[in-house]
Amino acid sequence: MTLKILLSVIFGVLLGLFILPLEILNYTDLLIDIGLMLLLFFVGIEIGINRSVFSKIQAMGFKILLIPFGVISGSILGSMIAGLLLSMPFNEAGAVGAGLGWYTLSSILMSNYSNELSALGFLANVVREILAFIIIPTVAKKLGYFEAIAPAGATAMDTGLPVISKATDSETAIVAFITGAICTFSVPILVPLILNL
Amino acid sequence: MALRLGMYLGIIILGAIIGAKGRLSEKLTKRLGSIQTACLLLLLTIMGIKIGMDKEVISSFLTIGYKAVIISIFTIGMSILFVMILKPYVLGRKK
Repeated sequence: MTLKILLSVIFGVLLGLFILPLEILNYTDLLIDIGLMLLLFFVGIEIGINRSVFSKIQAMGFKILLIPFGVISGSILGSMIAGLLLSMPFNEAGAVGAGLGWYTLSSILMSNYSNELSALGFLANVVREILAFIIIPTVAKKLGYFEAIAPAGATAMDTGLPVISKATDSETAIVAFITGAICTFSVPILVPLILNL
Repeated sequence: MALRLGMYLGIIILGAIIGAKGRLSEKLTKRLGSIQTACLLLLLTIMGIKIGMDKEVISSFLTIGYKAVIISIFTIGMSILFVMILKPYVLGRKK
C-alpha cells in the first residue's frame, strides 16, 4: 500500500508538472472534494457495519482527547527541535509545526509575520501531509493503530482519514476523525499564539 | 471550517446509517475494500497534480525544501512518540 500511495502522489506531481494543461487546476479542487466525500462515505459504511466500535469508543470516553493533545504537543515540540538544528528562532519553528499539516491556513496565518516563514509554513506542511500518506500504513503495522493517526495531524479528519481507515480499523477511524477535528480547530489559535511567544 | 466539519461528519453518519441497516449486498461489501483503494489512489494522484502545478511550491522546494523536510520529519516523529506514550492511558492500563 505504501508503494501504491507513493507512486500515485509522484505520478500526480509529474503529470501536473510536465503534462497536464493549467486549465485542469479549475477542476482539481472539485475533484478532490468529490473523491473525499466518496471516501468518507465508505469510511462511514465500515463504521456502520462494525457497530460494536461505539461501545469501545464509549469505554475510552474523554481519555480519547489525550490523542489530539499528544499529536499537537508532539508536533510543536518536534518542529522546535528541528528549528534548533536549522538555527531558526523557536517561535518561528514552533509555529510551522503548529500548522499540523493544514498548509493553506498556516501559510495565511504566517503571511503577516514574514513571507519567508509563510512559504516555509506552507511547504513544511505540504511535505508533512505527503509524508503522512506514505508512512501511515507502515506506522499502523509496526507501531500501532493510534500511532498511525499522529502523522496526519489536522488532515486526520479529511484527506488523511481514508488512508488511516484503510490501514487500521473503524475504532481508530473514529478516534482519527475526532483528533483531526480538534487539530483543525487548534491551528488558527496556536499558530499566532506561538508566533508571538 | 465548521461547515466543512459538519459536511464531513454528515457524510460519514450517512454512510454509517446505510452500513448499519445491513441492506448492502454481500458482494458490494466485499468489494468495498478495492473500491476504496481505487478512489484513494485517484484522490492522491489528483492532489499530486495540484501540487505539481503549483509553480511556487516547486520553486520554493528547490530552495527551502530541505528545511521543510527536516521540520516535517521531526513533527511527525515527535507526534508519533507522544501518542505512543499517551496511548496506554487512553486504552486503560492492562492488568
